[in-house]
Amino acid sequence: MKLFRYLQHWLTGRGPSLQVADFVPETHPIRQWADMFPWAAMVAAVDRSFTQRFPRPTTRGRPPVSIRVLLALELLKHEMACSDEQICSRLRTDLAVMYACGIRAVQVDGSQAHFVLPEVLAPFRRRLDEPLMEELLALQAATAMEDGLVSPAHLVVDTFPSEQGSQRVNDAATLYKAQKKSSRSSRP
Amino acid sequence: MRGFGRQCRGIGKVFVTLVRRTETQLLERGEQVLPLARAAQAYLDDATHLVAEQRVRLTTQLTAALEAHHRIAYQSRRRTQGKALSHCTIVNAYDPTIAPICKGKSHCPAQFGRKPGLIADPAAGVIFALRLPVGNPSDVGYVEPLVDKVEQAITRVRTRPTPAIHSLAGDLALNDASLREALHARGILTVGIPKTVAPFPPSPTPEEVPRVLSEAGLQEIRTPTQVHLAYACGYSRPVVESIIASLLCRGAGCLTYKGHRGAIVQTGMAVMAHNAATLVRIHDYRLSKRARLFRRRLCLRCRQVNQCNASIN
Repeated sequence: MKLFRYLQHWLTGRGPSLQVADFVPETHPIRQWADMFPWAAMVAAVDRSFTQRFPRPTTRGRPPVSIRVLLALELLKHEMACSDEQICSRLRTDLAVMYACGIRAVQVDGSQAHFVLPEVLAPFRRRLDEPLMEELLALQAATAMEDGLVSPAHLVVDTFPSEQGSQRVNDAATLYKAQKKSSRSSRP
Repeated sequence: MRGFGRQCRGIGKVFVTLVRRTETQLLERGEQVLPLARAAQAYLDDATHLVAEQRVRLTTQLTAALEAHHRIAYQSRRRTQGKALSHCTIVNAYDPTIAPICKGKSHCPAQFGRKPGLIADPAAGVIFALRLPVGNPSDVGYVEPLVDKVEQAITRVRTRPTPAIHSLAGDLALNDASLREALHARGILTVGIPKTVAPFPPSPTPEEVPRVLSEAGLQEIRTPTQVHLAYACGYSRPVVESIIASLLCRGAGCLTYKGHRGAIVQTGMAVMAHNAATLVRIHDYRLSKRARLFRRRLCLRCRQVNQCNASIN
């Protein structure tokens, strides 16, 4: 039953087939954005890294959701400032998101609830590590340099603070917030 | 930003008292667990019925838990009254890699989190590499690893001539003599890194150009034009704020993924999404006037080539 929930419905759905690339205009921002990635090289790098570090997936059962789709969803999530649930929901209905995920044709079937479940993204992220992220970024930069779009001749270095957003609640922080709130409310 | 209530002035005393009281209770409770954990570790060594891999995994987890306990117990017994948080202070028991960010903020609570460093093209804003070290060290320590990463990316470029790094710009935090020497040894100009708080000149005087080259010992490698461009980069360094703003709006400003690896994944994804958006802007030629002039001087792909000799500033 669990495997059944991870079905890739666009491969098996019924109804007329819709060509995604025909539907999404070339000037669409998400299409333009997606066309900027060297997908083949990036997917190959992820695949190579996973093969080296994790056991080979079994050939039994349904095939897993492709790396191309998961990688694109993870990137789209940041581009569109969405949560896992929101981006997976948009993948079901938004043809531009389907295009960015490399889905070329879909079967129109309204009964399908989702293409990719949001729960699939977290295990994918857990498999990504620092050398792989470095490699992906280097691939993107190298492709841009090869295309003559950017040059590393003159560079600028800087740092920026990133807040840890998921700090757990503790006694000290709760007391601090309460004191701050009470001092604010006691002001005339 | 999230603070822990450790203000430079004000109610810090209340907090130390509270923390002292809490840590005594917690450490007393933890004392009972510690011998049990050590006994479990000893038992694990003798547990031959477990698979070797499983035994190694459990041993590693137990050792990590014991080390974390030791570090937290050591820190909580240290005197903290009236002292600033140092870089190696644990601020979150669940994630020891989070550290206070001591970066350009005075008279406000210390921010807790991480400090990613980036190296980018100042003309359009494409980020070439990202570094996210554990413990938020000084900015000087970011530069050479970032330059190494850019050079690794350059090795992937198959077109000729192979690109090279000519100059590096940064803020006053990068003003370090040893760093300048190391960069000069790599053939990189450092005129874009300021030495004082005085405003940076948009272009050098004719007398300054040979002086800069001789100071760096790069007369044979770098040209006067490259010195002019390096000055322009230093002058327009504040454009890096727009790159950072773009990253922050793509979720790099608030880390929600767990641990150091999660922070790398989240920031890395935000950087790649930003880069793709920047490349779309370059394709559409939606660039600032300065960026367009910069690109022409660097002979990068642009729409109008009849202004190649225009001045950058």
